[in-house]
Amino acid sequence: MIENYFKIAWRNIIRRRGYSVINIAGLSVGIAACLLIFVVIKYELSFDTFQPGYKNIYHLVTRINQSDDVTYNPGVVAPASEALRLDFPQAKVAALEANYGSQLSVPANNSNAGSDKKFTENLGVVFIEPQFFDIFKWTWLDGQPSVLNEPDMVVLDKSTATKYFGDWKNAMGKILKMDNLLTLKVAGIVDDAPNNSDFPLKIMVSYISWKEHPRDYNYVYNWHATNSAHEVYLQLPANTSISKMDVQLKSFSVKHFDNQNAIIRTLFLQPLAALHFDTRFSNTLGDHLTSMATLRTLSFIGLLIIIMAAINFINLSTAQSVGRSKEVGIRKVLGSNRSQLIIQVIGETTIIVGGAVILAVIIAKAALPYLINIANVPQDIGIFNLGCLLFLIGIAISVILLSGLYPALIISGFKPVLALKNKITAASVGGIPLRRTLVVAQFAISQLLIIGTIVAVNQMDYVNKADLGFNKDAILIIPGYTDSISLQKMNGFKQQLLQNSQVKAVSFISDPPSSENGWGTNFNFNNSIKDRDFTAFLKLADADYFKTFGLKFVAGKSYDVSDTMRQAVVNETMMHKLGVIHPQDMIGKTIRIGGLSWSTITGVVADFKTTSLREAIRPIIIFPRKTYEAEAAIKIQTHDLKGTVAAIQKLWEGTYPEYAYNAYFLDDTIAKFYQQENQLALVYKIFAGIAIFISCLGLYGLVSFMAVQRTKEVGIRKVLGASVSSIVYLFSKEFAILILISFVIAVPVAWYIMASWLRNFVYRIHLSPWVFISAIIISIVIAWLTVGYKAIKAALANPVKSLRSE
Amino acid sequence: MLSLQHISKYYQNGGNKNFVINDISLDIDEGEFVSIMGPSGSGKSTLLNIIGMLDEPTDGYHYFVNEAVHQLKDKQRSALYKKYIGFVFQAYHLIDELTVYENIETPLIYQDFKGAERKAMVADMLDRFQIVGKKDLFPAQLSGGQQQLVGIARALIAKPKLLLADEPTGNLNSKQGEEIMELFRKLNKEDGVTIIQVTHSEKNAEYGSRIINLLDGRIESSKKF
Repeated sequence: MIENYFKIAWRNIIRRRGYSVINIAGLSVGIAACLLIFVVIKYELSFDTFQPGYKNIYHLVTRINQSDDVTYNPGVVAPASEALRLDFPQAKVAALEANYGSQLSVPANNSNAGSDKKFTENLGVVFIEPQFFDIFKWTWLDGQPSVLNEPDMVVLDKSTATKYFGDWKNAMGKILKMDNLLTLKVAGIVDDAPNNSDFPLKIMVSYISWKEHPRDYNYVYNWHATNSAHEVYLQLPANTSISKMDVQLKSFSVKHFDNQNAIIRTLFLQPLAALHFDTRFSNTLGDHLTSMATLRTLSFIGLLIIIMAAINFINLSTAQSVGRSKEVGIRKVLGSNRSQLIIQVIGETTIIVGGAVILAVIIAKAALPYLINIANVPQDIGIFNLGCLLFLIGIAISVILLSGLYPALIISGFKPVLALKNKITAASVGGIPLRRTLVVAQFAISQLLIIGTIVAVNQMDYVNKADLGFNKDAILIIPGYTDSISLQKMNGFKQQLLQNSQVKAVSFISDPPSSENGWGTNFNFNNSIKDRDFTAFLKLADADYFKTFGLKFVAGKSYDVSDTMRQAVVNETMMHKLGVIHPQDMIGKTIRIGGLSWSTITGVVADFKTTSLREAIRPIIIFPRKTYEAEAAIKIQTHDLKGTVAAIQKLWEGTYPEYAYNAYFLDDTIAKFYQQENQLALVYKIFAGIAIFISCLGLYGLVSFMAVQRTKEVGIRKVLGASVSSIVYLFSKEFAILILISFVIAVPVAWYIMASWLRNFVYRIHLSPWVFISAIIISIVIAWLTVGYKAIKAALANPVKSLRSE
Repeated sequence: MLSLQHISKYYQNGGNKNFVINDISLDIDEGEFVSIMGPSGSGKSTLLNIIGMLDEPTDGYHYFVNEAVHQLKDKQRSALYKKYIGFVFQAYHLIDELTVYENIETPLIYQDFKGAERKAMVADMLDRFQIVGKKDLFPAQLSGGQQQLVGIARALIAKPKLLLADEPTGNLNSKQGEEIMELFRKLNKEDGVTIIQVTHSEKNAEYGSRIINLLDGRIESSKKF
């Protein structure tokens, strides 16, 4: 009996080729899209879950609560780890200090190469306590954690050891130089951290080495300086209450911080399970965090897509069921009961869905290499695993039930006598209101995604073209070093650069005007000894900073050339926050940060965007201090960019032979601020495209069906004198109304979602009515292109032919 | 074999009742060959559908092989007609997607016959109707007469006691029609199948052993030969 059903199902599919193609195409694209979304979400949710102590590991973090805002810092003060060990003996505690852009060099006598091999590591270089490995499980290929008790010891991961020494097995005992400051001995090799780890540690230097080089690596042992790179992890006994623990940490904070800091700073626990999704904190170790909102948006989009595909299915099958009424009638007369018919229809659905799933896997497999453009997944992520298989089975079963059950109930419910007399029509199936509702739902979803796309693309366009208040074009940044030898070479290097006619300006800086570095501090103003109640953010640079970046002064001028802080420049936001109205009034006032001496303000610069456009402009103090001005910012002429950059590289490598050259253009890094948003905009574009594709398939199927159903009506109308255009109008009118209804539904939802997305940005576009108007125009045009062909064809048909068949 | 007592079927239309069948009582014995005649709209097909349990009367009592059909549940009723009744239609009503062989086999599937048994029964039937050569063709590839032959073969495959035929020759030319009627007569005489047919044709009606004339839902006349 089953075999018979499948035979009929197969013949039905072949006979109604057009519908089957539409069904399978729409469904497989939808399932493929969902599968890819599933792969991304599964990957993101798997972060750190492989750690056996996953549920009991916590990250100690700092909340800084100032008068006007709350900020979160992933780091804690250096003495915190020792104090924790004393005050919370039940906890395992480990600290680490992260380093960025460290240079590692393998001395020549280590290898066969002629000179030192130099590597720059942006991530994964840490000073780390051996206790870290009591908390986190790592696979040790050679050596053991205790080697990190000794100073100047380093543990490498397998791929880094292979990169440096050819084979990780040769690495043990070899010498490695870090930033030309530390000479380290390789004392252990660990296996690489998995892709889904927020701790992709590559070079682990003993923590004690950090303490022994306080100036070079900014080691400050006091309770004032919260260093975002200094992280502390804890493992607590399994049954610890976290709320109680946070209360205890509050009193711990009060006990150890001095008066003023105790009021504004609190230490609390961030569970490891939340770490990957907590975007309040910047990510200091891994390459990305993912907000739960992004994952929710993705799942929501996936759900919408699969619903749309299922809707197509229901629409087309109920429409087709009219044509099948005769078969159903005969079967009933021949003795089939209702459940047998239901099984038959479900069987057909199963074949189609099965075909769609197979096709979807092929599509997904083909699209997989492009997935890295819209998500932070590793290159080698796969879809042939148990999770994906279960997901596909789940999707298949829900689509079969969702889209097969309703048509099955309709079809099996036909009265045999009516069915045999061909008295079953689209109207008597009762499906028309339902089908209209479903088309409205589909169009509402497409319009939602179209509006999302327009808003996201406009916002990203706005962000990319926004006036940052300074000139970011053609500025080459070369990260450098501030050891005493490098510092001595600075001025000579600058003079040599300026001799190149293509170089317009050079400045040594701590960071560019817009950057994600936020070095904040308490400060005093106008000779008052009381700290101001907000944080000032610092940028350190020589006096050519303003010229190099084209910053404009609203009052005063740059400070004089100096190696230390004697004079300073502030921005307008700083001035406003200090309650000063006229920029001129700032000139000559004094300002003091940390324990330094008082400096005179020589100028106020017009506001520029200090971070990404997600955040408001920060109050800034700019001043010179040579030992922090590690980066060279070089403004160059745009013609012959390549030649100029090559000349600069040659000069740099000649000046600093002991360091690796890692220059980049400023506008590239600014673009990277918005990686997540740009990805999201791309996701919207892709999925809006898919949604439109699926709904157009559905629409095309429906209108084809309508054209067949109304052949007779059109014939009669034409005989009675209807024009072609009036008949096209007849077909288009209904869809236009449905699109309008769906528009009314989509607008508030889209408005709500996109307005909340835009709230991520302090600087954002307005949701103008035009966004919505263009969405409906796009929908109508696309729908009409789909409907139009069939409508015109139906209208042009010869009425004699269509009426003769009756 | 079957007995209808005071059967009526009507549609409520405002305060009026529109009668399709108006208080018909009728007994048919096993082995009879009954022709139902009457003008369009006189209720012939409805009466046949009620007898075949495809349609339900609004009022009245309906007995079939000693079962009170009007008291049966849907499932029992369908089990009953599956076992005893075969249908032949004016428009043949073959399933277009199935071959001749599969069309004939379908009722057996619904009556849970085993595969080997079905094969033998269908082969037997193909043989008897001399359509073995056509078993792999689809209905669209056959002439009207051949399609109706397949329709009758399908109606007879499960060895029904009662064959209901709704204008079986309506779509056929007179020669094909005659052949079908001869076949019916043979089935009735030799195999003892009770036959009830609806027909417009006097000539075809005379193949039967009784003619019932309907008018406006009532039996106008009934004569036995």
